[in-house]
Amino acid sequence: MTVGVLLMTHESMGEALIGAARHVLGRLPLPVEVQEVAANADPDQTLRSAAANARELDRGDGVLVLSDLYGATPSNIAQRLPGLGVRMHCVSGLNLPMLLRVFNYPEQSLDELAQTAATGGRGGIVVDTP
Amino acid sequence: MLEKEITISNKLGLHARASAKLVQALHGFQSSAFLACRGKEVNAKSIMGVMMLAAGMGTPVTLRTDGPDEADAMQAMVDLFERKFDEES
Repeated sequence: MTVGVLLMTHESMGEALIGAARHVLGRLPLPVEVQEVAANADPDQTLRSAAANARELDRGDGVLVLSDLYGATPSNIAQRLPGLGVRMHCVSGLNLPMLLRVFNYPEQSLDELAQTAATGGRGGIVVDTP
Repeated sequence: MLEKEITISNKLGLHARASAKLVQALHGFQSSAFLACRGKEVNAKSIMGVMMLAAGMGTPVTLRTDGPDEADAMQAMVDLFERKFDEES
């Protein structure tokens, strides 16, 4: 299995997270693209460009879209990708633990990887016990 | 099943890159591998598991391997700890 990973985020979020993941892991084990959505971006243009990114990433096993904030424009645009024929799951609430956990299980299928991402994102939130 | 206690000796402890190296070192082994400290045990093949120990320098950790290549997997882990994760010369 080789699922493609597409980060759809607000400006400067996606590249920064990928940079941090590269710092920790070195080479990333899955194909990755980042699409940052600027505040003044045209949604339809962004959708077309995201679809092109997703098609390039899809090696036959689908694309995992990770967006930073559910209900925000990057995530809302991602939800429209299946309408353009993209086989994907979108998981929102992207954080570094989510990203690292996804890259820890590169052999998983798209369905499995979506659950892996969600578990990683939730599990990475820790309240310190004094 | 094999078990060995070791003390973390690199300055930054089991931080993100060290955790990634540990997971990477165990990747090819069939055996399962675990790390335990302060009453918490995690899967040593999971980067987020290892990080959740938040184990710093001087922390004693118990390494455990279980499976057909448990001796080699244990050796790979011990080597990495003893080499201080190749972080310090």
